[in-house]
Amino acid sequence: MADRIIRHSDLMKLVDEVARKRRIIGPVARSVPECEPPVRYFYEDVERADQLDLSFRYCVYSPKRFLTPPSETLFAFDQDDGGFVAAPQYDRRPTALVGVHPCDIHAIRLYDRVFDLEHRDEHYFARRGATMIIGMDCPGPCTDGVFCKDMGANVAEAGFDAMLYPLGTDTDGDEMRYAVMFGTKAGREWLLYSRQSAAPNADDERAFEKYQADKEAAFSFALRTRREDLAELLGRSYDSLLWDATARRCYSCGSCNLSCPTCYCFDITDETDLASGSGRRWREWDGCHLPEFALVAGDHNFRPKAASRLRHRIYRKAVWIQERSGVVGCVGCARCDRACTAKINSVEIYNQLAEEA
Amino acid sequence: MMKPKIAIFSLTGCEGCSLAILELEDQLLDILQVVEIVNFREGMTERGWDIDIGFVDGAISTPEDKREVEELRKHSRVLVAIGACACLGGINTLKNHQPASEYRAYVYGDKAEWFPTMDAQPISAVVKVDYELPGCPMVKEEFLRFVKCMLTERPFRATANAVCVECKKKGVLCLYEKGIICLGPVTRGGCDAICPAYGSKCEGCRGVVSDEALAAAGVNLREQYDVPLDRVLADMRFHGAYQEKSLP
Amino acid sequence: MTTVDSSEREARADLYVPMSAQVVDVQQMTDLEVLLRAAFDGGRPLDHCPGQFVQVSVLGVGECPISVCSSPTRPDYFELCVRRVGEVTAHIHRLEKGSVIGIRGPLGRGFDVAELHGKDILIVAGGLGIAPARSLIQYVLDERQQFGAFHLLYGVRSPAELLYRDDLTLWRESPDVNFHVTVDRPDEQWRGRSGVVTTLFRELPQLDPTETMVAIIGPPLMFKFAVLEVLARRIPQNSIYCSLERRMKCGVGICGHCQVNNVYACLDGPVFKYGQLKALREALE
Repeated sequence: MADRIIRHSDLMKLVDEVARKRRIIGPVARSVPECEPPVRYFYEDVERADQLDLSFRYCVYSPKRFLTPPSETLFAFDQDDGGFVAAPQYDRRPTALVGVHPCDIHAIRLYDRVFDLEHRDEHYFARRGATMIIGMDCPGPCTDGVFCKDMGANVAEAGFDAMLYPLGTDTDGDEMRYAVMFGTKAGREWLLYSRQSAAPNADDERAFEKYQADKEAAFSFALRTRREDLAELLGRSYDSLLWDATARRCYSCGSCNLSCPTCYCFDITDETDLASGSGRRWREWDGCHLPEFALVAGDHNFRPKAASRLRHRIYRKAVWIQERSGVVGCVGCARCDRACTAKINSVEIYNQLAEEA
Repeated sequence: MMKPKIAIFSLTGCEGCSLAILELEDQLLDILQVVEIVNFREGMTERGWDIDIGFVDGAISTPEDKREVEELRKHSRVLVAIGACACLGGINTLKNHQPASEYRAYVYGDKAEWFPTMDAQPISAVVKVDYELPGCPMVKEEFLRFVKCMLTERPFRATANAVCVECKKKGVLCLYEKGIICLGPVTRGGCDAICPAYGSKCEGCRGVVSDEALAAAGVNLREQYDVPLDRVLADMRFHGAYQEKSLP
Repeated sequence: MTTVDSSEREARADLYVPMSAQVVDVQQMTDLEVLLRAAFDGGRPLDHCPGQFVQVSVLGVGECPISVCSSPTRPDYFELCVRRVGEVTAHIHRLEKGSVIGIRGPLGRGFDVAELHGKDILIVAGGLGIAPARSLIQYVLDERQQFGAFHLLYGVRSPAELLYRDDLTLWRESPDVNFHVTVDRPDEQWRGRSGVVTTLFRELPQLDPTETMVAIIGPPLMFKFAVLEVLARRIPQNSIYCSLERRMKCGVGICGHCQVNNVYACLDGPVFKYGQLKALREALE
């Protein structure tokens, strides 16, 4: 049962209303003539709804940068001989993420857990608390190579304020109609308050059921191992030669980590002004594939080889994050695989390990 | 506290890296309050030889360069190579892959014998270099960070990460998606991925990031891409990042 | 009455903001190690468990994880043994009495002292491992009636590397602890035992496997050999504690740097049971 039905033009009006109070971030099309198709989508700040392209297939990068940016100040400090004063900095700008696919919604749910597992990271939650999420369901795989169905992330039942399901164009026109599901009270109020949407009628319900049936048929499994069995598979694969064999191609460039919507590791650095003693401590994205990630003072590196770093990442994604947080550590979006210029492919890794076993 | 005495020298190159220091503008005045520049051809006329930190741009490309850098080393407590030419040899090394008689005739014509020249080299090939700030040109922000480290007696460390890290942080579309062989994965970052951010492939001006990455490049370009390796090698030689005749 | 404005409240609640502490004493112990004694403003105790660590900030330079080497039974101050290995520790070495440092913590999991109560205790420390061990040693000595027999074995490579020399004298003379020390490479002046720390196991009486709790703290190689000695005495794996050293950055189990297979050294450790540790392939590599 859908909660509401909304036409595209009405949705755009609603987004414009939101834009009066919040910064809007959503998929924007960028022309890239050298690519096939010659367009790529990116989550970007927009002023108006008509700058968004909600017909996007996938965004090259996930929206994670808007919740935990590539670099952010943790606190600013002033100091003199008598001591220091530190002022933490939080970004609480009201924001709306519009057009977030189920995979990325799962990734945000993961962040909601891991940034509050045993200690609560207020820098994350300052942004998160100010962010409204309007999801966009995908009727089928957004591109080749994804394995979101395997990871249970091609469908999202929570983690959004409202979720849009593109039912197709109207019978009497060419305008897209969406079924809407509310995820939160805020999402419900946003949609009901403006009266741009309608209650679904019987035809709408049938259309929504057909949408879901078609979607179910459109996705297939890519892994030979079921998600529940990945822990067991990797449990037997620690000493596989595959890690070395695959890692000889690895540049250790970290592209897989940094483009991954569930990677959240970071490094911390201090910076001071030349003249005064004041400065800031900031964090920035880091990744376990980067060569110095496990380097300690005194120059010992606990993971000196690309193979051990590759293994570490795959174990984290498939098993360890879930063990700790209860949320699956990989959403199957395959951004890591697409980002890898060495064409190291996680689906291949899992399937090769399954073959070995 | 005594102000550290700084000198800036140029060997064979365009002196763009020295100029980049003048381009720091806003921060330059802050720096000048805490250091004393004693020798800087691009910026002043006086010459001083009691030097705490000597910055050198340009490559060793002539016997005169070699003599000069040996002299600078003697006078500088800390010697810093700035820019691709000083750190890698830079584009000057392109001549190393041609017969000397040809490029000398091309550049100097019938006066070639008046101008002694030699294979271009990074200054580390001739003298001990304490720090390198690579790039074509040198990255101003890195220079500033370096100066801050020196002034606060902190060790300076260049990033061990490839350029790709900065592309991802900026959200730049990977040039490999456009079918372009970019040197980002094998090149030391720290440049804020300025070339890929503007759509140009990385040319490796900050040098090879690690032997591991270089070895991976050899494997990948042979096995995963259908590209003429000569072209890639030519790109890697452009700034002197890699001088060998074939990929590992 | 003091008032706390909102920004100060925020700073106290924030995971990453250090609290200000004053260095009340500095003692250069060796060429590489300095012993800092610090106290929070207002005399608030650190309130730690033996084996826990703190993140020490030198603002503008950075933070580094340091084990607390004093016992919570001495709440007026806390002590940190800092080896000069990197940038932050080099700056810590320049601190003087009266300097202000930033402290986050106590962090991580230390020794479960409740579990140790009523037991015989064996502590084996190698090199810098004596620092985290000392928080437990002091605890056992201060709460002596809570414990049975107490054996302490300490090994370093050379006499110059011996830490806490005043304590060593104290422990040697104390009837409360059966203390032995050895050096791998003695010098001319050294009158004590020589050999690796495991040679000191000969000095131990028979251990009761069900009543003895063991803490082994030191470099990986020393740990491996010491564990063998302990296991050979039929001590169960879950009666053996150890402490892992990794690159703790955030100190709160988020940033990922100190991860050892599926555990975070900063959160699940740094003190682990051997039974838990041996399942971690990366722990002893």
